[in-house]
Amino acid sequence: MAILPGVIKGLGITFKELTKTMVKGAETVQYPHEKEDPAPRARGVIALHEDNCTSCMLCARECPDWCIYIEGHKELAPPRRAGGKPRSVNKLDRFDIDYSLCMYCGICVEVCPFEALFWSPEYEYSEPKIADLLHDKSRLGQWMETVPEFEPYEAGTEVKLKKVPR
Amino acid sequence: MTAQMDPQHAQYVAAQVADARVNVELETEGMTLNIGPQHPATHGTLRIIVRLDGEQVTEVDPVLGYMHRGYEKLAEVRTYPQVTTLINRIDWVGSFANEVPFVLASEQLMDIEAPERAQYIRTILFELGRIANIVLFLGDMGVQLGAVTPMFYALRDRELILNQIESATGGRFHPNFNRIGGVKDDLPAGWLQDTKSAIAKIMSFCDQAEGLIVGNEIFQERTRGVGVIPADVALTYGLTGANVRASGVDWDLRRDSESPLPYDKVDWKVWTHPDGDSFARYWVRLQEVRESCRIVDQLLDSLPSGPIMAKVPRIIKVPAGEAYVATENPLGEMGYYVVSKGGLEPFRVKIRTASFSNMSITPWLLKGAYMPDVVTILASLYFILGDLDR
Repeated sequence: MAILPGVIKGLGITFKELTKTMVKGAETVQYPHEKEDPAPRARGVIALHEDNCTSCMLCARECPDWCIYIEGHKELAPPRRAGGKPRSVNKLDRFDIDYSLCMYCGICVEVCPFEALFWSPEYEYSEPKIADLLHDKSRLGQWMETVPEFEPYEAGTEVKLKKVPR
Repeated sequence: MTAQMDPQHAQYVAAQVADARVNVELETEGMTLNIGPQHPATHGTLRIIVRLDGEQVTEVDPVLGYMHRGYEKLAEVRTYPQVTTLINRIDWVGSFANEVPFVLASEQLMDIEAPERAQYIRTILFELGRIANIVLFLGDMGVQLGAVTPMFYALRDRELILNQIESATGGRFHPNFNRIGGVKDDLPAGWLQDTKSAIAKIMSFCDQAEGLIVGNEIFQERTRGVGVIPADVALTYGLTGANVRASGVDWDLRRDSESPLPYDKVDWKVWTHPDGDSFARYWVRLQEVRESCRIVDQLLDSLPSGPIMAKVPRIIKVPAGEAYVATENPLGEMGYYVVSKGGLEPFRVKIRTASFSNMSITPWLLKGAYMPDVVTILASLYFILGDLDR
């Protein structure tokens, strides 16, 4: 085994890759200066559209590790038509998601019957203190700006494309 | 014996006595060596107690359970849709594959069949998960032998597959995409084309791995004839997946079990190797990635149109009964034995993971091996620590 043809062939492969990297540039990016765009469907952070939430508690109940905290109360709103009865409306007092517990499974977004929760691909919200990972409803509402429109589907689908309320 | 001894004979006897004394002094008692539980080469914690005689291994005792997270018990207090989020984390490298057998078992209990398009999407992502898992092995095996370059090539090309999984499901490692009765969402536009180019990249990576590792004489010297598992021993220890195929047993659950997944509609081959050594295990896995690429390529071309969810009640209650469904996961046979008493939550879920059974052969296999080969043989068996302890 004085001559190692396999080793030399392997060196040829690495040399080819080396020239490719020299010509085309590296595959990696220098993170804080350059950023890669995650896919629009990427599960980064959950955004809350507060107007749609009726505090029905479905998301809090279906969450596998119970990291959503909701409190609400009922309020009387003026009737829709003149002379009607005043409507009772659910008002949201508290909507917190504890991202230190969240498993990013997306069940809450899926079970929400009123389309109040959305995924955003935003990922830069790390905190030095673990308690700060508890996002309250105003912080969750701010994420709404980063929610992308739903992507159109591949041909042959029967799923209707939804719209993101703004 | 005469009192007078021939001087030449006396010299001989003296030399023998001196030799014997040296031998007694050099007789070592053997050494116990702990490999792990924390080791930079393992992504997880596994402890292997090795008893050494010189450089040769006389006894091996794998100690498991450092990463036990109790998923079987946790599944008993979660509803069926919630369980899939947990079982994603069993084998975290090819996690899409973990969901499929559980969802199929639940569907069998509920007597639902997912529509054809959903089954196709499931199978495509299943195979992409397999590629993501095994490509990591193809690079990692080089690292265990001191070749670092293939690992970077593997991670670079695996990234493309993970990007495809992410853009379809939303999660890179924990897709949670299967639902009882179908899949969560349809594929986004342009996904088929992007996947095809990713598959082409993986095919060229396979050629690179063949040139860099399989053809390398040093790799062959270190793996050929090392850690040989004969076919009958492999079957006795319950080995599954590529480990048993590398011993020459032609057995693949994708082909041999009845499942609604459309594996029978594509043209592919189950590869086996007669040798049963570390090299054979590497070679079989390399061919498996190529076959997976072929399966995905054909399924992408023949993706049928239609719905992606069957009619399923909003609150999923699984009727009383028992079902066991196993599929061919990247690491071997993974099965879920689901017992339902008719409630919202499973009464009992028994998870059969491939790594756990594959690990059981190590006391037999490593006996008599040399210490530098221990790492190679363990790497060639390919286990994921989360799959081992679950």
